[in-house]
Amino acid sequence: MAKKLKKYLKIWWMMSVNSFSVVLGQKYALIIFLTGKIFRFSFFFLFIYFLLKGTGQIAGYSSDQIIFFFLTFNIIEVVTQFLFREVYKFRSMIIKGDFDLVLVKPVNSLFRVLMGGADIIDLITIPPLVILTVIYGISFHPALAEVLIYLALLMNGFLIATAFHITILAFAIITLEIDHAVMIYRDITSLGKFPVDIYKEPLKGLLTYLVPVGIMVGLPAKAIMGLITPVGIIIAVLIGVLSMFFALRFWNFALTKYTSASS
Amino acid sequence: MRKYFHIFKISFEEELAYKWNFILWRFRNVLQIFLTYFLWSTVYSDPTRQIFGYDRTEILTYVFGIMIVRALVLSAKAMSVGNDVASGDLSNYLVKPMNYFKYWMTRDIASKALNLIFASVEFAVLFIILKPPFFFQKDFGVILAFLVSIILAMLIYFLILFLLGSIPFWVPEIGWGSHFLVTVVIVEALSGSLFPINILPEVLQSIILATPFPYLIYFPVQVYLGNITGWALFGGLLIAISWVGVLWTFLNVVWQKGLKVYQSFGG
Repeated sequence: MAKKLKKYLKIWWMMSVNSFSVVLGQKYALIIFLTGKIFRFSFFFLFIYFLLKGTGQIAGYSSDQIIFFFLTFNIIEVVTQFLFREVYKFRSMIIKGDFDLVLVKPVNSLFRVLMGGADIIDLITIPPLVILTVIYGISFHPALAEVLIYLALLMNGFLIATAFHITILAFAIITLEIDHAVMIYRDITSLGKFPVDIYKEPLKGLLTYLVPVGIMVGLPAKAIMGLITPVGIIIAVLIGVLSMFFALRFWNFALTKYTSASS
Repeated sequence: MRKYFHIFKISFEEELAYKWNFILWRFRNVLQIFLTYFLWSTVYSDPTRQIFGYDRTEILTYVFGIMIVRALVLSAKAMSVGNDVASGDLSNYLVKPMNYFKYWMTRDIASKALNLIFASVEFAVLFIILKPPFFFQKDFGVILAFLVSIILAMLIYFLILFLLGSIPFWVPEIGWGSHFLVTVVIVEALSGSLFPINILPEVLQSIILATPFPYLIYFPVQVYLGNITGWALFGGLLIAISWVGVLWTFLNVVWQKGLKVYQSFGG
């Protein structure tokens, strides 16, 4: 098991270095995308700041709490984009038939298409984002247990995000449609920029259980604020594990439908 | 004129040919409205509350107004101009007996017409489901000014897209990057499609209002709401017209210079 893990870590490192080299070779594009990402984050941050300055609170949450929800959302989004950028290129792989070349290699095909192209632009933005999140997180004076639960639920959030990406890949094999599917995923998760408590039923229920954005993004943030129950944690982990289980089943099913068109 | 009518017809049919693509694009628009709607609905959960100079009815009208204005202004096919330049496909159009600007303008109008139809249906469905308080503008003069501001917004966006599409004449590899920066990030942030610009401090407002972006969404919706009237309305329209003039002049210079360095790689 350890040997296999080491092998995949090495492959991931090699694929990431290749991917980074491609981006670093296009300096103008790198600067533009990095500027865009920083501007978008900063402007939304400013918007929340000024909004809360005028309203005092939203749905019972203070300014710092709302900002912490937003930061936690960004951590999950940026890290998943950093790891899973290759998903955005999967459609052309399917349409051109290049996926055949992945299937014949002695590497897990899901691993290759999911993590084959880490994004250096997102990697650059992760450290400042983590620092900002820690600064805001400390302001709530959380107990050690709350910090550990936060980290565990953050991992659970990544698990759900991974399950979403696997589902999107499987969906792409069956329908050949991925560009919109991945963007719809991002639009739905962006509803987690704010606590799901701002939404009304049935949307709130959908975002909590069916498309668990609330569990993926909102719950970790609530953990650091001490607003979570043990039952909530158990349900979250259960949803995380189940979503991964069903995503993998769906991926295996989708592989049986791959027709190798155009190859 | 007839040939442009045919381009309009073909563009309209082309959009409908990729039904799923189009439906999913519209679905994404609805999702984006959800965040904005529920956020503001929560902020203004108390119907008597008045913040940032808006009451609940005005702010939710603003959100619903965004839906229609976005469909009219931000749905545009001229985004592909950069691809034509970078791939060399521009050559195919330059040798045809038609005006390249008019060609994309016609395609834009077709796209806007189709998006408007769908946005109206979405508007009606969401209106029935969410039952928001809505301000119906009855003043004919204001409606006329609103329509004029929409036309100016469409022209400004068209010219911005064409200017972005000209960048690949010199740097082909940043075609998508420049679109991402301007249309995905800057337009989304500064046009007022997420929130009214006047919730920001006055210094920031002044800076943003000096750019062409708030004249795409924020200004037309404010005009509809009747928040900009009299000399302020006249001044706002004048600024929007000036932006059209400046962008048009700049585009002409850039495009002519671009054509001189155009080498039709791959064309």
